[in-house]
Amino acid sequence: METTNFADQIANGKNRTNVRCQFCNSFMLKAQEGSYREKEADIPLMQQKKDRTADTLNTEPLKYFWLVEDMMSFENIGFSHSIDGKKFLVCADCERGPVGYHELSTRHCYLALNRVVHKDV
Amino acid sequence: MAKTYDYLFKLLLIGDSGVGKTCILFRFSEDAFNTTFISTIGIDFKIRTIELDNKKIKLQIWDTAGQERFRTITTAYYRGAMGIMLVYDITQEKSFENIKNWIRNIEENASADVEKMLLGNKCELNDKRQVSKERGEQLAIEYGIKFMETSAKASINVEEAFLTLASDIKAKTEKRMEANNPPKGGHQLKLTESRPKDSWLSRCSLL
Repeated sequence: METTNFADQIANGKNRTNVRCQFCNSFMLKAQEGSYREKEADIPLMQQKKDRTADTLNTEPLKYFWLVEDMMSFENIGFSHSIDGKKFLVCADCERGPVGYHELSTRHCYLALNRVVHKDV
Repeated sequence: MAKTYDYLFKLLLIGDSGVGKTCILFRFSEDAFNTTFISTIGIDFKIRTIELDNKKIKLQIWDTAGQERFRTITTAYYRGAMGIMLVYDITQEKSFENIKNWIRNIEENASADVEKMLLGNKCELNDKRQVSKERGEQLAIEYGIKFMETSAKASINVEEAFLTLASDIKAKTEKRMEANNPPKGGHQLKLTESRPKDSWLSRCSLL
């Protein structure tokens, strides 16, 4: 189940603390650089089942995101190749992800609150 | 929106396939956890933030993504690039010989003042070495560029190499900004909005 209570993380509609990779603590986004958004998006799971066929993807619906309008606002982040108008965001250091996605049409990035950790150091 | 950084540099990694460019930019994880969606789809580029002399610098680093196999690295790929890492594999003589071809390709396609650096990668494989460190140094001197031996696998000199290249681009950029300042008469500059850095920042294509 997706965690839904993020009230503590939000200050004035923005991320209160820095945002980091949950696995390697890589510094992804500085405090106050993301705007809180709720929207529905199916994001591939970080672990895909090994027996899945090539054209199926295990995804989960995620709803809570930090909107980052300018990709250069990120401290460290990786972008996947494009699929269906999207690039997926990954940790720039350990490369685990997706931690969100980048919409080619708007150039906006959405970082999923459930796939990152919120702490300053 | 106010920029939270001082410089944005677009960097490219160029060299034969198999020299480990992908490992330099993208950590090659053979661990179980990385047999995932991301390793299937592949990574296009990364944004990294570094600090030099109290200036915040954003690096946007691109790999050729296998284009080099088809010898089709085009002007489009080079557009806006301010720094290029030329990479060869110290265990593959051919990849070293091809650096000359890559430099020619860069001269034909990239901006004339692009900052270049030569990297001899896989220096952890010393027992399989085919290209001596001296030959790498010599070639770099010939082209008037900097040289380092790196190991993406053992994390030797990779970060140093990027810091060096970024620092050289920064020095060049600041020199150019000084030369362009003050602006010629009749040209009004708004100090807060139209700082010289914006002129080249906006030239960088982001995608």
